[in-house]
Amino acid sequence: MACKTNFPSIARKHCQSLLSHLDFGADQRNRFHEQLTVCFLHPALRQSFDVTVCRTPPCCCTSHLLKIPGETFYSHIPGLHLHVCFFLPRLSPGEIVVNEVNFVRKCISAESSQDDLWGKLICTNFKVSFIPQDAPPKQVFVLSHLLLGEHDVPLTCLEQVVTVNDTKGKKKVLGSNQKLKFNPTELILYCKDLRIIRFCFDEAGPESAKKVCLAIAHYSHPADLQLLFGFEYQGRRYHESKGERINGSTPRGGLQTPIFDRPSDWDREIKRTGASEWRVCSINEGYAISQSLPEYIVVPVSLADQDLKQHSLSFTDQRIPLWCWNHQNGSALVRMANLSDPLQQRKTDQRFLAAITKSHPQRSEVFRSDLDKCLPNIQDIQNAFVKVRQSCVIDPFEESEERWLSSIENSRWLEYVRAFLKHSAEIVYHLDGKNSSVVLQEEEDRDLSCVVSSLVQLMLDPHYRSLIGFQSLVQKEWVMAGHRFLDRCNHLKKNDKEESPLFMLFLDCVWQIMNQYPAAFEFTEAYLTLLSDSMWIPLFSTFLFNSPKQRAQHLMDFAKNKAIPQGEDQVVYFPPVWNWSQQFSTKDQTLFNNPMYVGKGAACVQNGEVKTFRRTKKTYSSTLRGTSASVRNGMRGGEETLPRRGSLVSELRPDFSPVKDESPSERFFRDWFSRPADQQGLLIPLLMPSHMALWKLYFLRWVPEACIPRGGPITAYHKLSQLVDEIEILQSQLRQYKGPSPGSTPLPSPSGPPSDQRRMYFKAGSPNDPPTPPDFLTSSFPFTPVGNLCRRGIHGTPISKFLNEARIWLSTETLANDTV
Amino acid sequence: MEKSGSIDSLGSKRSSSRQPSVDSLSSTSTSRSDRSAQAKPPSAMSSDSVSTSTELSPELRVKPRTLAKQVLRDSDKEEPQLLPNETVQDMAQDVTYFCPFIGAMRGTVTVTNYRLFFKCMDREPAFVLDLPLGVVSRVEKIGSASTRGDVSYGLVCKDMRNLRFAHKQMEDTLRKSIFEVLMKFAFPVSNGLQIFAFEYGQVFPENGWKVYDAVSEYKRQGIPNESWRITKVNDHYEVCDTYPSTLVVPVNIPEEELKRVAAFRAKGRIPVLSWIHPESQATVTRCSQPMVGVNGKRSKEDEKYLQAIMDANAQSHKLFIFDARPSVNAAANKMKGGGYESEDAYQNAELVFLDIHNIHVMRESLRKLKDVVYPNIEDSHWLSNLESTHWLEHIKLILAAALRIADKVESGKTSVVVHCSDGWDRTGQLTSLAMLMLDGYYRTIRGFEVLLEKEWLSFGHRFQLRIGHGDKNHTDADRSPVFIQFIDCVWQLTRQFPAAFEFNEYFLVTILDHLYSCLFGTFLCNSEQQRLKEEIPKRTVSLWSYINSQLEEFTNPLYVNYSNHVLFPVVSLRHLELWVGYYIRWNPRMRPQEPVHQRYKELLAKRAELQKRVDELQREVTNRSASSSSERAGSPTRSITPVQTFV
Repeated sequence: MACKTNFPSIARKHCQSLLSHLDFGADQRNRFHEQLTVCFLHPALRQSFDVTVCRTPPCCCTSHLLKIPGETFYSHIPGLHLHVCFFLPRLSPGEIVVNEVNFVRKCISAESSQDDLWGKLICTNFKVSFIPQDAPPKQVFVLSHLLLGEHDVPLTCLEQVVTVNDTKGKKKVLGSNQKLKFNPTELILYCKDLRIIRFCFDEAGPESAKKVCLAIAHYSHPADLQLLFGFEYQGRRYHESKGERINGSTPRGGLQTPIFDRPSDWDREIKRTGASEWRVCSINEGYAISQSLPEYIVVPVSLADQDLKQHSLSFTDQRIPLWCWNHQNGSALVRMANLSDPLQQRKTDQRFLAAITKSHPQRSEVFRSDLDKCLPNIQDIQNAFVKVRQSCVIDPFEESEERWLSSIENSRWLEYVRAFLKHSAEIVYHLDGKNSSVVLQEEEDRDLSCVVSSLVQLMLDPHYRSLIGFQSLVQKEWVMAGHRFLDRCNHLKKNDKEESPLFMLFLDCVWQIMNQYPAAFEFTEAYLTLLSDSMWIPLFSTFLFNSPKQRAQHLMDFAKNKAIPQGEDQVVYFPPVWNWSQQFSTKDQTLFNNPMYVGKGAACVQNGEVKTFRRTKKTYSSTLRGTSASVRNGMRGGEETLPRRGSLVSELRPDFSPVKDESPSERFFRDWFSRPADQQGLLIPLLMPSHMALWKLYFLRWVPEACIPRGGPITAYHKLSQLVDEIEILQSQLRQYKGPSPGSTPLPSPSGPPSDQRRMYFKAGSPNDPPTPPDFLTSSFPFTPVGNLCRRGIHGTPISKFLNEARIWLSTETLANDTV
Repeated sequence: MEKSGSIDSLGSKRSSSRQPSVDSLSSTSTSRSDRSAQAKPPSAMSSDSVSTSTELSPELRVKPRTLAKQVLRDSDKEEPQLLPNETVQDMAQDVTYFCPFIGAMRGTVTVTNYRLFFKCMDREPAFVLDLPLGVVSRVEKIGSASTRGDVSYGLVCKDMRNLRFAHKQMEDTLRKSIFEVLMKFAFPVSNGLQIFAFEYGQVFPENGWKVYDAVSEYKRQGIPNESWRITKVNDHYEVCDTYPSTLVVPVNIPEEELKRVAAFRAKGRIPVLSWIHPESQATVTRCSQPMVGVNGKRSKEDEKYLQAIMDANAQSHKLFIFDARPSVNAAANKMKGGGYESEDAYQNAELVFLDIHNIHVMRESLRKLKDVVYPNIEDSHWLSNLESTHWLEHIKLILAAALRIADKVESGKTSVVVHCSDGWDRTGQLTSLAMLMLDGYYRTIRGFEVLLEKEWLSFGHRFQLRIGHGDKNHTDADRSPVFIQFIDCVWQLTRQFPAAFEFNEYFLVTILDHLYSCLFGTFLCNSEQQRLKEEIPKRTVSLWSYINSQLEEFTNPLYVNYSNHVLFPVVSLRHLELWVGYYIRWNPRMRPQEPVHQRYKELLAKRAELQKRVDELQREVTNRSASSSSERAGSPTRSITPVQTFV
């Protein structure tokens, strides 16, 4: 597009002339669509434009920008080849445009403005949207979100809204209800999913630009939880889709993931794990006892409701110990809050420990782990995340390259990831190797416990490594256990001190295990990444609340306000994130499927049907054989007498350092590592620091410099996926062939199962396909760095240099004070 | 492959098919770091394997019939399975091996003319340490004055580990300690003995010495052509004794001028063609530094020669000279008569320094790395410790330089000249890496062997000096891990492009293991001339004979031929990783990662089996419908179309 720089004025002029030629009345719309089709078929144009047509009436035509790309315009006007595009924001039900500004430039690369996009910047009550005029060929193979366009950011995903005036050398971090005393020339959006998006207003109307910036800042700081867009959206969606739902009505809207909001979900879990000495207890129905516990909890059979009620008073927030999981050997994993009443402490404590012991077949001693004492706290974790994010996406690429390793180390993120994995592995040792029940104790039992208990279960129980199993784990140990998602995500941006990426830390830990055992999980790292991104889309009941009680209350009010009939299932009217079809097409959801997965293809619990928990035949008693017996301690005596001469000593010395005395758990791990890993059995990650890796897909997916064209692990995934697809086609052919009554079954189709039933994202190729991985595969796939990470480059103006030095993330306060 | 009902069942089958010796991981036998090859035999080098391991050494692989019997016997024997012409030199009982991971253990040591073999029968399964003597860098007697009267020996190894043994003081003082015997055979060159490769008489179905033929390789590249010719000027290594006999030079430079150019280039290493772009005709040429000296000497012939290289490529009017050194080092070389091309003298040439440090810096860096990773990794400060070794930084600089070269040739269509000081260390690293990025042929197993034979062996990388085969002089300043660094760079590329290389990680580890083992003749000597003189191809076995006789072991199942596709890796510390599968493989806590490759192979087998069943059923249907249609005309025919496969 040769005339990019003066495009706006050309566009303005021709839009006017075009508008005068075309009537946008409702009766004319069909004619216009016709014209669009013709243009689209013109071979020269076919590839270069993305035609977005708004089908949702009413179209308010004056706000549509008609666009005439330079070249096309000159060569084809007048006539049918005139290429016209609608550029409309794609609005979800209940979404309204708050403010917008035209002729905005979205920066694509820091080095030059050559690839920048011109378009309209819109702020709605849900998202910041940018609608490019010169739509580049759409990147077909990049994942498309059903509710968010390529250039959209949900308001809840905004971490910081920064306005800059380059000429005046000013900038300001915008909060809610603030004033801006300069006209911004630039807007930088720092996003919680690590994107950094920049818009320039050099051609835009200064006042409208300012208004949009203020609107974005304001709407990203909602005063109240109910103002989050989900409450508007889900109400509309519920009523609009009512008809469809009744047709194909399945329990819980077809959701297979247990929510653990009813006794039956817990019962199934008790049965599945064989926890016969535990029972579902409903003393907290209506949240009568504790504000943060779920309504149904699992407790030792030996404790009567009356006892529980009485003792609950001694615990922080009346959180009596919660059963999480049972090992097949009878050991239980239990989590509990600290005892708050010092007088009752001893008594209550002993009462519960006795009951837990009693619920163990061997009555073995309970191991208690105080997580607050041995793991980093939520502030440490938040600081680590801020620093690792700084190194990965904010610091200029080349500058951070030099001290990359130490900057990652200094962030301590990987150290914490390792600490949690290591601690969880220790717990695994007690449950599996020592055959004893474990109680995880944390002050409130709502943060660190969530991470540790879910990691322990993930290592021990293959069920949780299936997709449904994993989702039920998150549901059970995070959502229902009362993890404060609202505060930890800081959706309302009210209290920064409460913000902490614990769930992110958990996902990173899961990724580490997955990285070491790529065939053990039914889902992929793309799934984990998309799950983390979903935290910042305020449409799902999963991440919006601090406790089941808060969820229940808000959803009840919501139902009342939105005229949703009483008794309707909240999972239906305000679905959790697990209903993935809210966000992605069936085809895109196949990206979740790991072609290497070794395990039961389907989850154990399906629509209320319990399948038996597959027990792995392992006898760990024999694994603890005394390997150290052959280590003769006496032989180590000579080490101290080593002559220290020359360089040899220094070079040999590491070898002579006394062999560390192995702790029983170390021996357990070593022994486990010495045998082949069963993907469907216990899995322990390697815990050496050298085996903790940075999760590149998550941390580096937006970084253009780190994107490997036609490379990265995805190229292996691509091949595996194609191969598994071929296998599934063959299996389906065999099944069809062996169908019950020949003649009644359709003929086997050579293409295998219908495409919507194929599990693999990459389909088996044809012999004509080149074997080379397709061009669109990069190490960032299914994401793209294009336009998603625009740091202010070294070539920027002095103010941008200043901004870099200011290290926006680290010194928010200084910046916030730095008003004009 | 046994039949299995579904994909799901593959997992359990796989685990059960893993070799029993995995158990010995608890006893330092993590030698096989290849994640793709759980059930594969360790290479001859990969010591520390347990005696129950069935396929220990190369010769066993090709003599499967003798295998079963020997294994049975072997499992309770205290001696190693001997290679052809391998002889036991000494044995000692009651030797203590101090394993840094699991502590001391007592057993029997056997020393042969090829290996050290330690076996401890007290453990279940028996603990075995099997170490080719070639990896031993030095043996030191330590702590002779121990209170217990023990004599202790430390073995520093070239492959990132140290071993320590002790035994009782000999009562018979005249008798030599087993470690003194070991010293004799570990350093045959210093003791007037022959390197074991000259005795090893194994015959393989493939002859690795035939892998590389210079003329055919140049022919593959389209040479000779109108601009480049093959010269025989160095046929008897008269112009340059460290170069191969077959050289490719610009057509219009006569032999006499080549000799004058040789006089101006260090060690006579004139610029010669390494690789030519099949389309643009841009070339990669390599040489040594010009002998400019402090006075800025010039050579008309050399200038004309470089001009001829540029002219041979019509696409560009520029020539890039990549000097691998830091500019300071290049300038310092002027004091010794060397230096670099001045842009005044070489018109249209642009000189770029690539900042890669010399062999001494690299040696020091690897030494530091060993300190950081062996035997144990500290729980804290792992990344900053790793950073302080600068090893990955050096890897990055080398890869970045190679990428620049490849990019100039591919995207800039410009010819490049690469040199360092002598042009046999850094230059070889850069040309071979650039060629690996540019030409998919070198990413096949055979292509990679050709690349090593050509850019490293024939162009005189001084393997003998850099590795110090059989030489006890461990402090020799000529030793340096230049080649290891190159293999590390290749591994980094395979990490970024998991489907672009025909070979797997095990292939790379095997090459490095036999770099030291002295079992094969491939890496002996310093130059083609020396190898010819020593009759290496006649008297020793090539490593490629061993590898090419069992390609399956070394093949990456994910490989797809990126036809004509240039690999542009991201050279950033964000993507470069420490090669834990090589450097940390001795640590028993380092389990090879769960193998993606293995899983892929299983799935391939699964597909083949299903395809077979579908085909059978289809035949059955066709037959049945043929017979039934003869009975009842008009009944619909069922057919199953085989799935289209593209592999």
